Amino acid sequence: MSAAEDQADVERVLAGDASAFEGIVRRWQGPIVNLAYRFCRDRSRAEDMAQEAFLRAFRALGSWRRDAAFSTWFFAIATNLFRTDLRRIPARTLTLDDIPELLDSRAIDGGLESEDRDRVVRRAVYALPAKYRDAIILFYFHEMDVPAAARSLGLPEGTFKARLFRGREVLRSKLSQLRVSPALHEEVL
Amino acid sequence: MTRDALDRILSAEDRIVPSSGFADSVMDAVRREATTPPPIPFPWKPALPGLIAGIVAIAGLFVAAFPLRTPEAAAASPSVLSLPQLISAARLAAVKTDGAGWLALACLLTLLSLFFSFRATGSRT
Repeated sequence: MSAAEDQADVERVLAGDASAFEGIVRRWQGPIVNLAYRFCRDRSRAEDMAQEAFLRAFRALGSWRRDAAFSTWFFAIATNLFRTDLRRIPARTLTLDDIPELLDSRAIDGGLESEDRDRVVRRAVYALPAKYRDAIILFYFHEMDVPAAARSLGLPEGTFKARLFRGREVLRSKLSQLRVSPALHEEVL
Repeated sequence: MTRDALDRILSAEDRIVPSSGFADSVMDAVRREATTPPPIPFPWKPALPGLIAGIVAIAGLFVAAFPLRTPEAAAASPSVLSLPQLISAARLAAVKTDGAGWLALACLLTLLSLFFSFRATGSRT
């Protein structure tokens, strides 16, 4: 992704050429749709949320200060929007209490396969309290880059790290309480 | 669960590809947004004199309803009044005081309000 291209497109949009925004859309559609998807786990809703994020960015382009990268500013807008949207209409997720049931029912068929287990762990993230869930989602979305994830959430790095640590602890403790197949037990506990 | 196992599982999240018409759909919405005129802001400037006059009128009503009470008057009447008592006290105070003065003040405020409203509106057109 080119910061110079972003800046050039923004300048053109601010000068009155709305079609220049297409460059921004084409460059950032993948990351923004994926970020939305990580929040809601619904492809169709993710595209709606991403479209709204692009519109918000378009309306607020004039407020982008050049001291931060366009992507940083844009991810912060999108993250804020997605979190608000999720508070309004929660994603269809499990509660932490549902997870043992899910694991147990699958263990009847000879234990969890690796793919199922990964899916259960990912779904467990969505059962965390929002502040821990958001920290974990953004940390892994930004490929474990703490400063980038903290900026997206608008938090100091220290606060972000504390939430990430606490979120992982809650997740680990919940998953450790489960009756899981021997293979999973051996690998992750 | 170890941190490494958690990192491995959560880092390996599948990526989705936006549908083929997504960018076009966003750009349609952006073009609509660009051609829509901005919302009309609330006309604070023309409304301000009217708001100030309203506040002054309400303040005047309270001043009339709670005149300076001498110790004798305070002893003669209860200090807490009900709403009907307040209204009749205000009406009584307005009758007792110089009615012409109040009338003149009301007219002056109305005229000032109209003057500033027309001036503010006229300066925009």
